[in-house]
Amino acid sequence: MELSQTIPLLLGLAWLLPLASFAVIVLFGPRMGKSGVLSGHVATGAILTSAVLSLLALALWLEKHGVQEPQQPEHDSHGARRMSTVRRVTHVAENEPEHADEFADGPADRPRGIQPLFGSWYSLGTFGSEGASRFPPLRVEIGYYIDTLTICMFAMVGVIATCIHFYSLAYMHEELDDVTDHEVTLPDGHHLHRPGRFPRFFQYLSLFCFSMLGLVIAGNLAMVFVFWELVGICSYLLIGFYYERKSASTAANKAFIVNRVGDFGMIIGMMALWGSLGTFTFGGPDGVFALVRPASQKHHLVVPDGMVRAAARDQIAAGVAPTSTQINAWRQDGYGYGLLVIAGLGVFCGCVGKSAQFPLHVWLPDAMEGPTPVSALIHAATMVAAGVYLVGRFFPVLTPEVLLVIAYIGGITLFIAATIAITATDIKRVLAYSTVSQLGLMMLSLGIGGWLAGLYHLFTHAFFKALLFLCSGSVIHACHTNEMPRMGGLRKKMPWTAYTMLIGCLAISGVGIPGFLGLSGFYSKDAILAQAFSFADSSGHTLLLVAATAGAAITSFYMFRLWYMTFAGSPRDKHIYEHAHESPSVMYLPLVILAVFAVGVAWTMPLTPLSLENLLEQARPKGAQSAGQIWTDLTIPEEHASHEFHDQATLAATAMWVIGILLATAFYGVRSLDPEDVRVQFAKLYSFVRHKWWFDEIYAVLFVQPVLLLSRAAAGIDRRWIDWLVDRSAGWTVGVSRVDDAIDRWFVDGLVDRIANSTYSLGLALRGWQSGRLRRYVMWIVVGTVGLFVLISWFLELAVAGS
Amino acid sequence: MEPINWHTFFFLLFSLVACAFAVAVLISTNIVRMAFYLTLSLGATSGLFFLAGADFVGAMQLLIYVGGTLVLLIFGVMLTAQGPFISMKTAGGEWVLATIVGGALLALLLQTAFSVNDWHGPAAATPSHFGAREASSDPLTQPFTPATETASVRTASVTRGAKPAGEPSPWSEEAPRTATRLGMGLLGARVDLLEQHDDTLRHGMSGYLLPFEIVSVHLLVVLVGAAYLARAKRRARN
Amino acid sequence: MNLLSQPVGLSHYLVVGAVLFVAGVACMATKRNALGVLLGIELVLNGANVNFVAFSSSWLRSDSQFAMGLEGHLVALFVIVLAAAEAAVALAITLNFYNNHATIDVDRADELQG
Repeated sequence: MELSQTIPLLLGLAWLLPLASFAVIVLFGPRMGKSGVLSGHVATGAILTSAVLSLLALALWLEKHGVQEPQQPEHDSHGARRMSTVRRVTHVAENEPEHADEFADGPADRPRGIQPLFGSWYSLGTFGSEGASRFPPLRVEIGYYIDTLTICMFAMVGVIATCIHFYSLAYMHEELDDVTDHEVTLPDGHHLHRPGRFPRFFQYLSLFCFSMLGLVIAGNLAMVFVFWELVGICSYLLIGFYYERKSASTAANKAFIVNRVGDFGMIIGMMALWGSLGTFTFGGPDGVFALVRPASQKHHLVVPDGMVRAAARDQIAAGVAPTSTQINAWRQDGYGYGLLVIAGLGVFCGCVGKSAQFPLHVWLPDAMEGPTPVSALIHAATMVAAGVYLVGRFFPVLTPEVLLVIAYIGGITLFIAATIAITATDIKRVLAYSTVSQLGLMMLSLGIGGWLAGLYHLFTHAFFKALLFLCSGSVIHACHTNEMPRMGGLRKKMPWTAYTMLIGCLAISGVGIPGFLGLSGFYSKDAILAQAFSFADSSGHTLLLVAATAGAAITSFYMFRLWYMTFAGSPRDKHIYEHAHESPSVMYLPLVILAVFAVGVAWTMPLTPLSLENLLEQARPKGAQSAGQIWTDLTIPEEHASHEFHDQATLAATAMWVIGILLATAFYGVRSLDPEDVRVQFAKLYSFVRHKWWFDEIYAVLFVQPVLLLSRAAAGIDRRWIDWLVDRSAGWTVGVSRVDDAIDRWFVDGLVDRIANSTYSLGLALRGWQSGRLRRYVMWIVVGTVGLFVLISWFLELAVAGS
Repeated sequence: MEPINWHTFFFLLFSLVACAFAVAVLISTNIVRMAFYLTLSLGATSGLFFLAGADFVGAMQLLIYVGGTLVLLIFGVMLTAQGPFISMKTAGGEWVLATIVGGALLALLLQTAFSVNDWHGPAAATPSHFGAREASSDPLTQPFTPATETASVRTASVTRGAKPAGEPSPWSEEAPRTATRLGMGLLGARVDLLEQHDDTLRHGMSGYLLPFEIVSVHLLVVLVGAAYLARAKRRARN
Repeated sequence: MNLLSQPVGLSHYLVVGAVLFVAGVACMATKRNALGVLLGIELVLNGANVNFVAFSSSWLRSDSQFAMGLEGHLVALFVIVLAAAEAAVALAITLNFYNNHATIDVDRADELQG
């Protein structure tokens, strides 16, 4: 079978397997094994198979397309960065040796032999008909758009999800029996005692995996939206897994509603696209990418004809003919650019919600109410990464204005979250804010043109953040508390957890020996900082560089703060320390696997040019960046140009993590400085940051209270007026029905009854004639005879008289 | 003083006897007496038959009706002789009803009886077809004659009674015998209509053989049925 | 004497027949004894016989060509035969009824009432 059929088949299977697992568990869950324990195995088996299929697809893809070294001469000075020497290994015949002077035109001219696979599996419906409007009919279909990024995402999601599934088999063990939830107090004072919900957890996990993979493989924006919402629902279900806890159910609502706000913007963006272009599909000659970055224009960003016409519709209605020259003239005048910006901003709005960017970041910390595997999978590695992924996928359509907005929002988020993480004491909250911050960093990177850097960081972050969350889950499982001030010195009791978590902390801090070796975070952070330097240099927006750099420092600080508070020092709570124990192997083995990935996922495979970076490079969208039309002095720099800032970036990154770890060690490791002093000295600031910048309270006043007020008013109206009306009309209806009933009984029934009764009584009366008395009969015979005679004689007389 | 029409006298005698005893049957409550009164009534009726010239029928009346049927009824009376039946009285209201209805019927019949003028009496000296028929001297073609009438009565009536000329009275010697004719008619030969010229009066030339047979079978059936019905069958109830 | 000198006509016979008939009908209608009813039936048939015979006689009527002649006699004979047969059957029924109910009161034979 051809690759163009195999890969979609493999990925399609990998996508649908978790759905099958979901279906099986839904139908048979509680009956699968004792208390449904087999449901976990089914789910794990499904996602493991899915991961294997994804890796298989990756292998096939690599076999066909190979991996190239990025062909830039500047790399010679950075060759030591890679484990292998620079090699111009080409596996694809279409690749030609590059010349340096061609780089002036940008990578658009570099022939890419890798065409993304796109197609449609199943058409759900067609709206509109051929020729009814200037667009082809909108086909809503289940389709795919597969390039290297897709396959890498599949592999990443599969591997991480598999590790988390294994981890959950042990972590959710207590759900196999009845559970006493100590965080829920019933009105009578007892704690809630409820049956276990083991199968349900894996059912939701399977559904989530299906949704996430569907989002990744989606070939059109409508399908993305559908799976966008699906992951939102799975997130809601999983955050609210312990739904009897008020905090959990509130958090689930918050997550879903805040996401919905973002989706509102996304729908606007989708409408702008559909209204002007008439299509949602990514790939293909009439897909969005081809319309926005046509090959005829060397994949430069142009406003598509559809948007120009849509923007100039007044003139078209006034009678100006939309010939192609006229359209070009309009395009020069800037018609339609606004629509493009709106499309980009709208889609980004969805990403703001999904990836917990400012101002919609408030749901992610509260989402930590869900079980820790959920936090690891959804709120660290995958779902929140979906927003970043979509920005990466949608990158060709984003104008420089939109990109700058993305960058600033990312920067703001990065900063806010990092500051809050410094003061958080709940181990999962720290990690949650860390996630928000890192997502901000990714958005920042994407916004300043660092497409590869941002997505690179997405991948590496997924691994070490999942690792960190699972480690924290292990700690929580052992200590039965989330609060770090009550932990301490746990590394002696939980060595596996402690040291894998250390690896995770090192990875997130971007620790590495410059020029030699680093953990995964080292490479991705490096790339981002390089691009930030390049951007600051070219456009003068140095604030973003400062934000990225400071963010790196703060990140390493609070991560090591977390590590020291949890695993180092002396135990602060004897009771907890006594009961702490290492997790079972089925829990710490995934930690080890993830730690391995956290260390080496950015490394190049020895003896090959295969590395994550090179893989992602293959998927880079075509087309160079151009200057914006609204902010005409803004040009997003090309990413390959960031290589000249690499040294500065590495220096800055190294400095940052060193500073961060040093400070953390000083405050929390060796305790030479006292955090309490800082708290007292910056009391107001501390309070502000501790209260999460008062975001929740502001939102409560601005949005939640008015809505509740409105709902109470509406309920009042409903009860007083509408219910009254309904009750009255019900009363009238009953009255009318009684009248009808009376009529029915008296007239209709009565008539029938009366006829029946009279017939019966007539019969009864006539029965009397059958007296059985012979003499009476004789009498009647005689009477009859006499009567007959009389009658006949009369008639005869009449006849005789007449004739 | 007009001469007595003895025919009329005997008619009145017999009819009074018959009617009186019929009424007596009606009025009487004793079943045995009723049976006896009926016997007398039927006997008087047979006399009426003779007076009307139906000698054979009259004889059969006495033989079969009185001598057979009534005896049978009397046997029935004897077989069901029980105390209670002797005094089964009819209520007064029933009598009133019966009187009204019977009276109505009687009135109707009487009115009908006297409605046709030709029925009031025999024709007075008018020649008739019937007379032409009597031209033959064949005893078989002679008009009917009651054979049991005494000669004296006969001659007395002939001399004194007004009778149609040319028409032999039923009591004359020339009156034909009905028995022969009846017998032949039952066997299928209508010997009384041999010289009937009027086509309309030749109907029935085929005789009464079939009814004779039917009646015979009927009698057989009745015999068997009656025997079966009246079998003594007192099983549980006695 | 006037009465006795008038010849008797068909009508007078019919009167007799009528009287017998009505008496018989009244007997059937009023007698409670089953045998009394039978006697009434005999009277009825007898009255009918008188009618037949009267109509068959050619000497009793002015229009003697319309006399029935032999037919009347034959019918009267048949009537007698049938009366006998019917009396036999009726008597059998009565005896059967008597055997079953120990009475011949026709008012007791009302099981066929409605």
